[in-house]
Amino acid sequence: MSAVADDGSGRRGLSAGAFAPLLACLGLLVAWQIGAMLLATDSIPTALDALRAVPDVLLSRDGLINILDSIRRMVIGLAAAVVVSIPLGLVMGRARAVAAFFNPILMVIYPVPKAALMPIIMLWLGVGDLSKTLVIFLAVTLPIIYHSFEGAKAVEEKMIWSGAAMGMSRAQIMARIVLPAALPEILAGCRTGLVLALITMVTSEMIARKSGAGNILFNALDMGQYDTVFAMIIVVGALGIVLDAAFDRLRRFLVAWSETRQDIPLSFS
Amino acid sequence: MRATLSRDIALGIVPIILIGALWQAIVVFGYAPPSLLPPPGAVFTRLAQQLVGIDFLSQAGATLLRLFVGFAIAVVLGIGIGLMAAVHRGVDAVVRPLVRVLAPVPKVALYPALLLLLGFDHASKIALVAADALFPILLSTYYGATTIEQKLVWSALAAGTLPHQVLYKVVLPAALPSILTGCRIGLVISCIVVFLAEMISSTDGLGYLLVRAARSFQTVDMFVPLISISLLGLALNGVLYCARKVLLRGFPEV
Amino acid sequence: MYHGLRKAGTRSKVEEASPGAAALAAPPMIAIEGVSQTFKTAGRKEHLAISNVDLEIADGAFVSILGPSGCGKSTLLYIVGGFVMPTAGSVKVRGRAVTGPGPDRGPVFQEFALFPWKTVLGNVTYGLRQQGVPRFEAEERGHKLLAMVGLKGFEAFYPKELSGGMKQRVAIARTLAYNPSVLLMDEPFGALDAHTRTRLQNDLLEIWERDRKTVLFVTHAVDEAVYLSDKVIVMSRSPGRIKQVIDIDLPRPRRRAELLLDPHYQKYVVDIERLIEDAPEDAVHT
Repeated sequence: MSAVADDGSGRRGLSAGAFAPLLACLGLLVAWQIGAMLLATDSIPTALDALRAVPDVLLSRDGLINILDSIRRMVIGLAAAVVVSIPLGLVMGRARAVAAFFNPILMVIYPVPKAALMPIIMLWLGVGDLSKTLVIFLAVTLPIIYHSFEGAKAVEEKMIWSGAAMGMSRAQIMARIVLPAALPEILAGCRTGLVLALITMVTSEMIARKSGAGNILFNALDMGQYDTVFAMIIVVGALGIVLDAAFDRLRRFLVAWSETRQDIPLSFS
Repeated sequence: MRATLSRDIALGIVPIILIGALWQAIVVFGYAPPSLLPPPGAVFTRLAQQLVGIDFLSQAGATLLRLFVGFAIAVVLGIGIGLMAAVHRGVDAVVRPLVRVLAPVPKVALYPALLLLLGFDHASKIALVAADALFPILLSTYYGATTIEQKLVWSALAAGTLPHQVLYKVVLPAALPSILTGCRIGLVISCIVVFLAEMISSTDGLGYLLVRAARSFQTVDMFVPLISISLLGLALNGVLYCARKVLLRGFPEV
Repeated sequence: MYHGLRKAGTRSKVEEASPGAAALAAPPMIAIEGVSQTFKTAGRKEHLAISNVDLEIADGAFVSILGPSGCGKSTLLYIVGGFVMPTAGSVKVRGRAVTGPGPDRGPVFQEFALFPWKTVLGNVTYGLRQQGVPRFEAEERGHKLLAMVGLKGFEAFYPKELSGGMKQRVAIARTLAYNPSVLLMDEPFGALDAHTRTRLQNDLLEIWERDRKTVLFVTHAVDEAVYLSDKVIVMSRSPGRIKQVIDIDLPRPRRRAELLLDPHYQKYVVDIERLIEDAPEDAVHT
């Protein structure tokens, strides 16, 4: 066992960069293919069938519009959430009264799936973009607030004292000391937010069918077009992986100075 | 110390009261029709009524069942795989890339596949809950197990612990704080996911109740399941918090 | 009078402070032969931490390993403990090759490494329970040990509730519990304040006097090494080699108040400090 005796190299696990995850993808696809062939039911197409259906979905005008709509809503919701949540979280982290004020209500909202608010919000705001974007916004704010809060809380008091001694105002201290110091934790929250945004996007579209990837997914399910169903699963899954990888790049660039944890993403943390 | 605690509690209740008051005001002053936004009194009365009704309780029971079973599976698998990957290079090499690929995929997108594979009843929802709650638990276990103090293991080995015992005698207890944090996250996710799955396609459960009420435009009935899942989440969180206090009584606060 | 300092590179047999024909005939307690340790650093470069160390340590000797930071002294200790495998060379304890950790070589670490999920008593009885000693008896022995290290009454406490000095006492009790023949101590008092350090040094000597286990004591504090040991092994800067072995011929039991004023003690400390400062080639001649 590697925990037992150390040969002194101090490294654990081999990571062959991007090679291993690609291999894992391939392995999963192969397992799927074999499983589907063994099951031999219409409702579970083989991996190859699904893959063949992917270009059909992506390249059809309808499919492309739907997917772009989804991404657009997600981006807007994410952006708005980031702008609102980070400052709020930071202030909560440094001002105990603010934290005490917001914490309980946030804890009450947390277990409620924001996509579940869709039916009610749909009644108020209709089935258009606004309701779905709002729900994504709500879903993403929570983890970012929480992580900004934790990150700001953990900033060393002495760093802040140094800033105050240099004559910085509270706002300056927030922007120039607390924010950068808490950035690793904030970015972990953003990563979680990204995952939640994706999920909320898909589920909100599953509930309020008008446009979007979730819409295609469930329409296809209703109509028995199983190839399309699985093709959309692949598309959404790929979207998640690509966005997460891109975000990781960004994160590493921004916080190259800090000692980050191992590279496995923490979803929902 | 006590003064600040009661001040904190007071501060925390304020927004809840404010929102309640705002809610009531909106309804009373007619800014929104009662069909769109029922008054808080009506909602909570309905909630109280439902909570003693057999029908509601059996629906809630179905949700709870799926939640618990799915969460339990996620806990067992997550901790098991996480620990193995942390101590065994071979397992690590296989698990890491798989997690890297699967973790960012919104498992709810797989839900249609699960429905087709496992049917529309409990199994598909339990599977979805397990799939979603698995990763945070696995990751925290892995993180906790790989960051334990090496010298703890050495001390245990020198004291006569056999290599195969190290995993459950040292690594597991030492990683417990991290594991429990992952479990808390996994629990919240389980609440969220089970509700969503029931909303998307189910014939019973709290999520189903929400969709049913929506279809028949019973706004009051729509609020009830939402508040229920929130209360459920809070209650379960509370239980986990107590468990954490007991299990981690020897650990310094982090 | 104190013995002369021997030059580096020679095979150094460390004799007991109280010579006896039987002691010389018996095999050394610890035999370190040609041990080298190379680490691979992050940039795939190789770092030679220890280079070709030969050392023999007799049963019952209290031996300190002294050196500047990074000279590999802790690594050497870990190799003897079986926690780290040397890249070259071998270690034999009582004639048997070391292949891994074991209860014959008990460690005490600077960071205490107590099990946070166990109480003080739980920590101390751990080794005994591992050996299959039944719970009641293990706890009885645990109580005795804790009393011996001055922690009577703290059995139900958790490590987090103890001060640094108390934690180290628990760690020592925990290791003594499974009765190792060799005590491997890695800068055990380095994390403690000066006053606690002095108290623990004296307590350690008192405990050691009772059954005279073999002790390998790593430290960077010259005065500590001279105060406690029969032999001081000075290691050079990285890559770590044995620079010199110095016999400490001071009377036992060591009394701090007397020793601090003893010119022999003072000369040892001054000479060894100078030795550590010097370039590798220099050796202090008598």
